Amino acid sequence: MQQQTEPRPDGVAFGFLTAVESPTHGLFGGYLLVDACGRPLEFHCTTPVKVSRAQQILYGATLHGHLHGRQIGATLLAESALEPAVVLTDIEAMLQVRTHTSHPVALVQRFEHHDGAAGFAVGGMRVSPHASDAARESALREHLAELGAAVDLGEPFERIRAAIDEAQRH
Amino acid sequence: MKQPDDLAPSHAIRSLRGHDLRLQAVGRLPALDPRLPRPAALRLPLEATAPAAVRVALLDDVPKVESFRFAVATAPPPAATAVRDRNPSRPDAADGAGEAASATRRTRIAPPRDVVKLSEKFFYLLQPDLETMLGASRLEFPRQPFPFQLDGMAFLMPRHEAVLADEMGLGKSMQAISSMRLLVRSGEARRVLVVCPKGLVSNWARELADWAPELTVAVIEGDPERRRWQWTLPDVPVKLANYEVIVRDRELVRELGLTFDLMVLDEAQRIKNRSSQTSQAVRSIERRRSWALTGTPVENSAEDLVGLFEFVAPGHISERMAPRAMGAAVADHILRRTKDKVLKDMPPRLNRDARIELTAEQRETYRRAEEEGVLRLSDLGREATIQHVFELVLRLKQICNFDTATGESAKLDCLAAELEEVQASGRKALVFSQWVETLGRLRGSLGRFGALEYHGGMSTAARDEAIRRFKHEKKHSVLLLSYGAGAVGLNLQFSQYVFLFDRWWNPAVEDQAINRAHRIGAAGAVTVTRFLSADTIEERIDEVLRRKRDLSDMILSEAGSPAASGLTADDLFALFKLAPPKRAAA
Repeated sequence: MQQQTEPRPDGVAFGFLTAVESPTHGLFGGYLLVDACGRPLEFHCTTPVKVSRAQQILYGATLHGHLHGRQIGATLLAESALEPAVVLTDIEAMLQVRTHTSHPVALVQRFEHHDGAAGFAVGGMRVSPHASDAARESALREHLAELGAAVDLGEPFERIRAAIDEAQRH
Repeated sequence: MKQPDDLAPSHAIRSLRGHDLRLQAVGRLPALDPRLPRPAALRLPLEATAPAAVRVALLDDVPKVESFRFAVATAPPPAATAVRDRNPSRPDAADGAGEAASATRRTRIAPPRDVVKLSEKFFYLLQPDLETMLGASRLEFPRQPFPFQLDGMAFLMPRHEAVLADEMGLGKSMQAISSMRLLVRSGEARRVLVVCPKGLVSNWARELADWAPELTVAVIEGDPERRRWQWTLPDVPVKLANYEVIVRDRELVRELGLTFDLMVLDEAQRIKNRSSQTSQAVRSIERRRSWALTGTPVENSAEDLVGLFEFVAPGHISERMAPRAMGAAVADHILRRTKDKVLKDMPPRLNRDARIELTAEQRETYRRAEEEGVLRLSDLGREATIQHVFELVLRLKQICNFDTATGESAKLDCLAAELEEVQASGRKALVFSQWVETLGRLRGSLGRFGALEYHGGMSTAARDEAIRRFKHEKKHSVLLLSYGAGAVGLNLQFSQYVFLFDRWWNPAVEDQAINRAHRIGAAGAVTVTRFLSADTIEERIDEVLRRKRDLSDMILSEAGSPAASGLTADDLFALFKLAPPKRAAA
């Protein structure tokens, strides 16, 4: 087993950020950074965040954005040693992490779930950048075209979920 | 007790509300009856107490974060152009050899059971699936691997101790090479040693060139000086050597301080005998990963597996273990698939036993030889040894092939007739015998079919040339092979017919021979004809072998108790209805 802390100096990293709801434990966050071939560079995961009924009422409609974007997303991104070209998420509420980071953030969804919406296609996925990153769309396209040639953009999220699942059993 | 009306509570209340107050002004109030209920006193507090505050914590506490960082690949960046399948038409798949890996399938690399640390489990769980890995690395392959082959790679790659025990013909070498290739590319393996039987070195070199063309391979061969130089060649990730070289260079490897990240043994049943020089030499080499490839992990008894594991995971199992316990202990280290399970659409293998009546002259020679032989054994009585019986069996089997007196052969006549049809249909046939001499006689008689020979008496170059000509030149319809040299490692799936001219002692070896043709890429049904001379020793041997055929399956399925396989001394004596001599007490 080889685990080093030294990232590839010349490579571009891509972030994949998601959260997994556990009925018993709460919400786990996971952040995977991969290289252009989809190989893992870093992985960060949170302890679960459990939201009480009172907090649900108190935060109301703002709960999911705060929980995903601030509590989980921003915390995870702060732990990374690498600078991702883009942070991709498959949870809309996680887009709020953009207010806590300077990296571009984009939502990734399968075409059938997001037909007709804004964004651009990479493989079978639609990528919708955060509104703040609209100006960077062409640069994002370029980066993600390279990654998308090697990796189905929905696939790394499966890895994160499998890892979080294993962490719960551990 | 009933109260009088004037004492009833309702009456008293009425009095207080009006009537009796009026009376108060004119006279003395009547004394209140102490039995009347008193009204409840209401206490009105002058100062209210503060309400309890319900405190709802805001979501401000940041969760704890566990972080893991991974090694990065040291391989050069992939080429700009991807050519992933050098043979996109995939003739084998097109011929129905099975479904190739589809684009949507994801083959995950699961952590082995003995991985305990979460960080190590994450290392495997967070790797891309194999399809992504292969696509991203833009590796060239001669054809798209089958799904079960990707499963085999996903089994091998994370394991330091592994036995790939697929049935012959399922591509064990290709799975090992592709796994090794990915490990080299990811930087997990820099020095690899592949050890195989001498006759398969050129075959392995070819397979390595096909499945891992970018890996430089050094074949360790030649005189000692040359070998020393080859062992120490820098920047050559793969060293390829045969078992004999490993035995010969055991001290040299130690002296040079060579260690390997991965050591792969092909036809690993060669080391089943732990006390053999081969096993000891192989085990003496320093290595981080040990993979064994064999189609027959249990050839004769459970001890075979113990011998194999002395290389793969020393001390992991012992012969004292019950078969079920042994099976459970090795379960996570062994992967075995059979063709009928993984290649549902593979062309069928059609078996037929050709029961041949000896010619009259052959029968007479056979009868005399058997009578004389049995008589001699009887005369020897307790002095008769296994060697005496063995010699008689060999002699009788040879007569079943060719009459030693007249040279007649009922089998040859039958074979020649069959080959007429093979040749006429433009097909190819393999003929196996245990004797090189028999192969020579057959070649002399089968010249019109362009018969070629392949056996251990030939040089490696001559054998390679025979394979080349048989494969590419239409005039050669028949390849005559010895079980010893031709049963393992060769890919002859363009042959549609296999003839077992005589029978080997162990059904596993016969299966290996048959699977030279009946393997992935087989162009159609493979017909296997096993010649059996009627009412001879061959039929009796066949009967014994049939009873023992399932031994390997019993061990690998963790069920039943292992019996001996092949022919034991007792079996050999029983062939002639003789009692084996009593063994001396230990």
